[in-house]
Amino acid sequence: MNFNLSVGLSTYLLVGAMLFCLGLYGVFVKKNIVAVLMSIELMLNAVNLNFVAFNRFLAVSSVVGQVAALFVIVLAAAEVAVGLALVIAIYRTRHTTNTDEFNWLKW
Amino acid sequence: MSDNFAAVGVLLIFAIALPLIMMAVPKLIAPNKPNKEKLTPYECGNETIGRTWIGFKSNYFLYALVFTAFDVETVFLYPWALTFRKLGTFAFVEMFVFIAILLVGFWYAWKEGALEWM
Amino acid sequence: MVSTDFLAITPEIAVAVLALLLVAVALLLPQGARKGLVPLNVFGLLGILAYTVYDFFFGKMGPVFRGMYYHDQFADFFKILFLTAAILVILSSREYIGKWPAYRGNFYALLTAAILGMMIMASSADLLTFYVGLELMTITFYILVGYLPHDGRSSEAGIKYLVLGASSSAILLYGISFIYGLTGSTQLSGIGAQLGSSLTPPIILATVFLLAGLGFKISLVPFHMWAPDIYEGAPTPVTAFLAVASKAAAFAAVIRIYLVTLEHQSFVQTGVALLLILAALTMIVGNLVAIPQKNIKRLLAFSSIAQAGYLMVGVIAESVAGVKGVLFYAMIYVFANMGAFAVATYVGQAQGSDEIRDYAGLARRSPLAAAVMTASVLSLAGIPPLAGFVGKFYLFSAVIHQGYTWIAYVGFVMSMVSVYYYLSVVKVMYLGEGADLPDIPVHGAAKFTMVFTMLITLFIGLYPTPLAQMAISAATSLVK
Repeated sequence: MNFNLSVGLSTYLLVGAMLFCLGLYGVFVKKNIVAVLMSIELMLNAVNLNFVAFNRFLAVSSVVGQVAALFVIVLAAAEVAVGLALVIAIYRTRHTTNTDEFNWLKW
Repeated sequence: MSDNFAAVGVLLIFAIALPLIMMAVPKLIAPNKPNKEKLTPYECGNETIGRTWIGFKSNYFLYALVFTAFDVETVFLYPWALTFRKLGTFAFVEMFVFIAILLVGFWYAWKEGALEWM
Repeated sequence: MVSTDFLAITPEIAVAVLALLLVAVALLLPQGARKGLVPLNVFGLLGILAYTVYDFFFGKMGPVFRGMYYHDQFADFFKILFLTAAILVILSSREYIGKWPAYRGNFYALLTAAILGMMIMASSADLLTFYVGLELMTITFYILVGYLPHDGRSSEAGIKYLVLGASSSAILLYGISFIYGLTGSTQLSGIGAQLGSSLTPPIILATVFLLAGLGFKISLVPFHMWAPDIYEGAPTPVTAFLAVASKAAAFAAVIRIYLVTLEHQSFVQTGVALLLILAALTMIVGNLVAIPQKNIKRLLAFSSIAQAGYLMVGVIAESVAGVKGVLFYAMIYVFANMGAFAVATYVGQAQGSDEIRDYAGLARRSPLAAAVMTASVLSLAGIPPLAGFVGKFYLFSAVIHQGYTWIAYVGFVMSMVSVYYYLSVVKVMYLGEGADLPDIPVHGAAKFTMVFTMLITLFIGLYPTPLAQMAISAATSLVK
C-alpha cells in the first residue's frame, strides 16, 4: 500500500474500505435498529466512493461507474424508506427499537 | 499532486485551531460571574416546558417518505435534462413514462391518506 | 433496432404494466369490493406466461440493449418458472389473504413487482442490471415479509430480513465495485474476457465478496441463518414465494455469473473445491437440522436450504448436463414445494397453527390435503415414481460425469436422511389421532392448486421427457 501524501486511487480505496468496515462493524454491534440502518448506508456509500474513484482513475472515457453510483443512491433510498416503515410497524406492536429484543423467532 | 493534499492538511489544521482559539480567548479575558438566570437553557427567551428530548409525530415520517421519492427522482432527471437534446424524442417520452410511474405511487400515497394531517 | 429491443422485453413491460394496473384498480374500487383483483392478476399473469412459452419456442434470441440484457431460452425458462410459481401462490392463498381486513390489493401489486425483479435478474447481462433487478425483488420481499400490520412476528421477520438482506447486498455490491475496478466493465462477457486466467489477490477478494452476497440469496450454508426465522415469521404465501421463486432467481444469476464471467478463470480450478465443500455442508446442515423441527414452516425452510445444496451440485458440474439438471430440478421443485406450501397455507389459516403436531389425523380430517402434502414431501425427498427422483438423478449423474463422485455420495446419503423427517410429517398426518381438531374441507382455488401440483409432480415423474427437452435447449443456449 502506498502511503505517500498524493491523492491517488489508493487513498480513495482506503477511505472506502474504512467506511465499509465501519458500516459492517456497526451492523454487528449497534443495539438501536435505526443505527443499524445508518451503518448499512455507510457500507453503500463506501461502494459509491469505490465506483466513482475507479471511474475517475481507470476508465475516464466511460461513465459506467458514475451511473452505478446514481443507481446505488436511489436503491439505498428505497431500502431505507422501507426499513424505517418496518421500524415504525414493529415499534407499534413491540414498543422497542432495540435489536436484542427482536427475539420472538429463535433459531 | 502532493501540493493540493498539503493544502487540505493546512486547511484542516486551521479549521481545528480557529474554533479552539475562539473558545479559549473569551475564557481568558472575559469576566465570569454566573448566576441562576444566566445558567438556564435558552429557548427563545422563555423557560423550557417539559423534557427537551421528545418524540416527533410519526406523521412526519410519511411526508418524508413521499418527499424522498421525488427527491431521489431528480438524481435521474438531472443527467437527462443535460443531454435530452442529444438523445431525441425517445428519451423525452421515456422520462415521461418514468414520471407517470412515480405519479401512480403519489396517487396511491394520496388516496391512502399519507398526506392528511391527523 | 430499438423496436426489436423492446419487443424482446415484452414480458417485463407487461408485468410492470400489470403491477401498476393492480395498484390503480385497488385504489379505484371501494374498500369492500376488491374481489376482482385475483382474477385480474391471475389472468394477466397467465397471458404473459402464454407469451413467454411461445417466445421460448419461436422467439428470435440474442442480446439486446447493446449487450446489457440477454434474451435467450435460459432466461425464458426461468421466466416461465417465476410466472408459474406466482400464479400458484396467488391461487393457493386466496382464503388466507381474504381474511386480511384491508390493503390486500397492494399485496398482489407487490407480488407482481417482485416477479418483474426476478425476470430482470434472470435476463441481465450486466452486473448493474442484475443489481437493480435483485433490489427490486428483495425490497419488495422486505415489505411482503413484514406485511401483517398487527403481527409482531411478521414485523420482526421483515426487519431481520431487511437488515441481513441489505448488508448482504452491500457486500455483493462492494465485490461488484472491485470487479468494475479490475476490468473497467460491468458487462458479464466483458468481465469474462478481461479477467482472463490470472488469479491475483484483488480478484480473489472480489470473487469472495460476490460469492458471499450471492450465497446469502440462495441460502448456502455459512450464510443460511436468516432463512428459518424469516420463513417462520412471514405470511405463509410469502414464505412459499420466497422459498421457490426468489431462490430460483438467485440461482439463475449465480449460474449466469459463474459460467459466463468465471469461465476462463483459474478460480474455477482452485475455487471449485471451496464450492464443493459449501454445497456438501449445505446438504448436510440443511437436512440434519431439519430433523428436530416442530413447525412446518421451519421444517420446509431447512428443507429448502438442503435443496439449494442439491442445486449447487448441478452448478458445480458446469456442463450442459449440470445446468439442465439445475433447470429441471428448479422447475419440479416449484411444483413440489408449492403443493406443500398450499397445504400449509390452507391448514394454517383454517386452524391458526403451523405446528406439526396440529397436523395429527389430517388424513381423516382432510384427505386431499394430506395426500397432496405426502406426494409433495416424497417428491422433495426423491422417492421414485415422483418427479424429485428424476431431478436428483440428472443432478448427480452430471456431477459424477465431471469426476466429483464423493459429492454425489453425500447427496445420496443426505436424501436418505431427508426421507426420515419428511416421513415423520406423513406419519403424524396418517397415524396421529387429532380427535379434538376440526375437519378442514378444501375447496375453491386452493383445491385446484393442490390437485394441479400433485398431478404435475406425478406426471413429470412418470414422463420427464418434455420438460427435460426444454431444460436441455435452455441449457445449451447458455453453455457453449
